[in-house]
Amino acid sequence: MALPIKYNLRNLVVRKGSTLATAFTIGLTVAVFLMVMALARGIDMTLSSSGEPLNVIVVREGSTAELNSSVSREQFNDLKYLDGVVREGDEPLATGELITLIYKPRKGMSQGSNVQVRGVGPMSFKLHSGFQVVSGKRFQPGLMEAVVSKRIGERFQGLDVGDKFRIQTTEFTVVGIFESGGKAFESEIWVDVNALAAATKRGDSFSSAVLRVSDANALAAVTKRITDDPKLHLKALSERKFYEDQQGIASGLLKGLAWFIFFIMAVGAGFAGMNTMYAAVARRTKEIGTLRVLGFGRISILLAFLLESVAVALVGAALGILLALPLNFVSTGTSNWATFSEIAFNFRLTPDLMGWALAFGAIIGIVGSLLPSIRASRFRIVDALRA
Amino acid sequence: MKFAKLILKNVLRNKRRTLLTLSSLIVSLFLIISLATILTEFERGSQESNPSRLMSRHSVSLAFVLPIADLQRIQTVKGVKAVMPFTWFGGIYKDERNFFANFAVDAAKMKEIYPELKMSDAEWQAFAADRQGAIVGKKLQILYGFTPGQRITLKSPIYNADVEFIIRGICTGGDEKTLFFHHEYLDELVKAAGAEWATDKAGLFAMLADKPEDVPRIGQEIDAMFANTDAPTKTESEREFAASFEAMTGGVKQFLYAIMAAITFSLLLVMGNTMAMTVRERTKEVGTLKAIGFQRHTIAGLFLGESILLAIVGGAIGIGGAVLLYRSFDMSLYIPNLVSFIPQTETLIGAFVLSILVGVVSVVYSTYRVTGLTIAEALRSTE
Repeated sequence: MALPIKYNLRNLVVRKGSTLATAFTIGLTVAVFLMVMALARGIDMTLSSSGEPLNVIVVREGSTAELNSSVSREQFNDLKYLDGVVREGDEPLATGELITLIYKPRKGMSQGSNVQVRGVGPMSFKLHSGFQVVSGKRFQPGLMEAVVSKRIGERFQGLDVGDKFRIQTTEFTVVGIFESGGKAFESEIWVDVNALAAATKRGDSFSSAVLRVSDANALAAVTKRITDDPKLHLKALSERKFYEDQQGIASGLLKGLAWFIFFIMAVGAGFAGMNTMYAAVARRTKEIGTLRVLGFGRISILLAFLLESVAVALVGAALGILLALPLNFVSTGTSNWATFSEIAFNFRLTPDLMGWALAFGAIIGIVGSLLPSIRASRFRIVDALRA
Repeated sequence: MKFAKLILKNVLRNKRRTLLTLSSLIVSLFLIISLATILTEFERGSQESNPSRLMSRHSVSLAFVLPIADLQRIQTVKGVKAVMPFTWFGGIYKDERNFFANFAVDAAKMKEIYPELKMSDAEWQAFAADRQGAIVGKKLQILYGFTPGQRITLKSPIYNADVEFIIRGICTGGDEKTLFFHHEYLDELVKAAGAEWATDKAGLFAMLADKPEDVPRIGQEIDAMFANTDAPTKTESEREFAASFEAMTGGVKQFLYAIMAAITFSLLLVMGNTMAMTVRERTKEVGTLKAIGFQRHTIAGLFLGESILLAIVGGAIGIGGAVLLYRSFDMSLYIPNLVSFIPQTETLIGAFVLSILVGVVSVVYSTYRVTGLTIAEALRSTE
């Protein structure tokens, strides 16, 4: 026969001080885990949402990033007329893009980081959906003008509308601020590809080419065709995979850190929970004896204590989620070591992370209370009543 | 001190509780030290920089290279003792996961500009004599088993080539997860790869000044010299240069502080809760002690002493454990971008002070409540 749940809940209220302390300890453990995981998830989601499913990106064979890649203009002209590339009217939906980095100090600091500058063509705006100018205007092709992503403009000095920055000896003027639906492009500055080619004296080549293909079959065919051509020395892959591959170091390290911290904090919280439960069991020894006399079995007693502890843990985990929730509105940035430049993103506290948080909280509750609960269930009735 | 024995008895009264509380303290302090060490290791590059060393790079960013001919002009600046090209190669050993830094340098100048790199004279000579030669840090030897004479191939995504090197020495000091090779060898393969943009170019120039006081002036003179060329430079002391890399990690630092604060707070809750249970359970005893004439502050002192003793023991074990673990097991081998993983003395002292503070704070409220009761109230307690 199981004890009524009311019994457990009443007990939690009676010892509210230690209930709260235990719940908060578990809550903080869960909150810290969520913080670090939400940071890693932010990087992952930014990168995985950046590639479009039907875009093919072409880089030089052996390249790991656009920065160290090169596709000649001649090669690009062949690529864009491949079978399977979508056309808009007569023009293939394809673009050559050029990448470089500029070093900028962060706001309020003398040091900063590299910001990626992307030279784009007219088709780029169709290939990378979601681009939207939120203030100022779009740059004019052929002019030394730039649009800066909102996140980068907010994080670095001298990148507001009207400001100027240099690439080599050429001066660019910021004319607009853009957003692009949370993609990695929101960590970039966009300029006209020909203007950037002139500034960097790279008139004959792009860093990468992006092609829109008609469907999944065309994607497979086009990537194979380009990668397998021994004369081209190029590598083609789906844009989605290209960006996902960049998740590597930064987010992997963060996930490792999240587990390391969580494991140790969970051990600490488990010990603390055990302490409270042992105290609760000791204080209620007589009560346990009485319950046994009334006919509640050992298993009922065991389950009652376990349940009580899991309830506290779940409340704690829910508190932890509440504590971490405001992070969803925080944006931050760090170095994406794959591209050697700043990646700006939002923390992402996704529902699955919250689900895991609740589950881990419950596990801490069970592990922390198992021994004290077993102890409670093992009392002999006479001893318990005499305590 | 006459109460020391009583405090000790009290601590040992509920052994299981003491043990659990200690364990909580120990793991929390271990964690705080680990995180604080990540923070201090992030900044080791700028902290331990050589005050006489400077780095020159393209003023726009590291993506742009400098003409190698600049070297002759830099050499003429007064106070520059030695200068060499220092170019990021970005070679990958077998798999991208085996990331380590590799740079092309001037083997003849290396020893002078980087005196902290230690290697036998025979190894320095062997390196200088072999065009294809490379030297690797001790930690790369530990990780990949590199031995002198071994041929290794690095795959270069920048120049799209597989490049073979022969290990000619194992060096200690500095970043021991780095490989250095000859800039002449890089120049050859750049030409062979037809990479015009990189031909006769250097990524950085590393230089040593006669004395640290000259460093700011040298930096200004070099930058003025190239200000109106195609490749304007930005020359900084090694400290500033390293700090600019450290700044790239961005918000991570504040983030780690926030986590450490959360751990400390959670530790306070754990200790506070345990001490509150301990103190409340002894309410009746407090009444008895008061009845036989003990002063309130003496009783409070007993509780405080008990909590501090726990904090000291737990703190010492957690801190000692962290030191022992990180001394015997070098975490930096497995964390990219970290040169070493050694908790600093300041970190250890800070953690110890923190644990004592936690010990004090966690007992204050419950002690204040319980010792403030009158004798009658205390003796009547049902706890």
